[in-house]
Amino acid sequence: MQLGFLVDLHLCMGCKGCEIACKVENEVPLSTWRLRVKYVDVGTFPETKRTFTPLRCNHCENAPCERICPVSALHYLENGIVNIDKERCIGCAGCVMACPYGAIYIDPQTQTADKCTYCAHRVASSMMPACVVACPVQANIFGDLDDPTSNISKYIMENQAGVQVRKPEKGTNPHHFYVGGGNVNLNPLASHRVEGHSLFNKITTLPVGGHH
Amino acid sequence: MAAHEILAATNAVVTLDVALPGTVWPWLVTVNMWAKSIGTGVIFMLMLLLKRYPQQVGKLRFQTTVVAIVFIHIFLLFTLADLHQPLRMWHIFFYPHVTSAITVGAWMATAFVGLLFLLAFLSFIKKDDAAFDKTLPWVVALAIPVTLYTAGLMSQCTARELWQMPTESAQMIFAALLSGSAFMILLGGSQLNWEAKRSLSNILALSAFMSFVLYMSEYVFGPMKAEEVAAVLEYIKGDGPYTVMFWIGQWVAYLLPMLLIALSRSSKNESILKLAAILAIVGLAVVKHVWLMIPQLLPMS
Repeated sequence: MQLGFLVDLHLCMGCKGCEIACKVENEVPLSTWRLRVKYVDVGTFPETKRTFTPLRCNHCENAPCERICPVSALHYLENGIVNIDKERCIGCAGCVMACPYGAIYIDPQTQTADKCTYCAHRVASSMMPACVVACPVQANIFGDLDDPTSNISKYIMENQAGVQVRKPEKGTNPHHFYVGGGNVNLNPLASHRVEGHSLFNKITTLPVGGHH
Repeated sequence: MAAHEILAATNAVVTLDVALPGTVWPWLVTVNMWAKSIGTGVIFMLMLLLKRYPQQVGKLRFQTTVVAIVFIHIFLLFTLADLHQPLRMWHIFFYPHVTSAITVGAWMATAFVGLLFLLAFLSFIKKDDAAFDKTLPWVVALAIPVTLYTAGLMSQCTARELWQMPTESAQMIFAALLSGSAFMILLGGSQLNWEAKRSLSNILALSAFMSFVLYMSEYVFGPMKAEEVAAVLEYIKGDGPYTVMFWIGQWVAYLLPMLLIALSRSSKNESILKLAAILAIVGLAVVKHVWLMIPQLLPMS
């Protein structure tokens, strides 16, 4: 079994329901996110549009975070999920430095690394991840990539030309796919980041350690 | 199509993204790398002196061992301080993951500390120079991977395109040679004659030159290989946030020491040589810090 995720960006409307569901399900502390939706505005007024891209751990087949973790706190489950054992984590932040997707953070409450686990605890009980359940337009498709009859496999088959992963050049072989994405959605270098130019400028972060 | 071309065409602006904190490895990691360079570098230089100027080594055996012990402990202390869960450090030994450069490095550094204490025992308690000299090559052999493992760790940071293994390993070994020779020039004092100090200054100047060449190669040619590297190097170009610090580091660590060494050799002035050594040691910390920080400024999402 190889679990994977696919997000159809044609469908995503940026409601952030997945973000909230993830926060509630996994008790993600304030100022940190296992899953977040990035908004990118494209074009010049009046020809503009807004794109929405949910970003989470890519559960790579060749995961740099798993390789760099000195204590195997990050480890593969048999179903392909890259899971984290917060009790074992020493907080070296090697995984944060290694992840090319910026998907790992230091939890300010536990002072350990944390990230999306595809809701491994729910999956173990044959439930869908919280974000999948919450999505009102079924933009999140989750399933077994090894099973050709699964929804995700069928979706990939039907949209072969449009299926993309983030940063394929890194050789991480992500198990997280996007349909309908472009460089603007998936390549961080393809959009400007203007200091203070954000829909919610008052976002603050909690300290993750005395010296940071 | 390259990202910057897309950017020009789309005028895309990120209007909402809660990017995760950028600086994950702070100045503590700079001190870690800097102290490790000195701790291993002085051992390399002691071996050199023992081979080329054995009659002058004398008390330097114990003194160098103490310096190495002190700086390796600074390295270990700052490594520990950088952990968010320092009390779980023992997990590295009881739940080791051998694909991680951190694990392998921690083991090697521990063995290195053990060997340094053995050297201290042989030189200070037992006062057995012959045994010390027989043990030293083994310590040197271990000092090489100890100083290099951080390069392995940086290369395992897949997210940071700037840190590539061959370049980083060369930088690490040159940093050890630079700081080791500089520290030995200061430590040698009256125990080393001008000839020995000239040898040390040769190593200092050569390692400064090679390090400078490597940085300049990255600076000029790096952007031609990868857009991500080009974007990172923008932080040390033009009015980038680390431009001034980058060039201060290059001048203080490499260019000024090279010039001062040339001056000291023409005038046989030891004070100028000592100044070059001090600048190299101080500048190395600046250089290391800039190279550690700039890849962390680039948003990953």
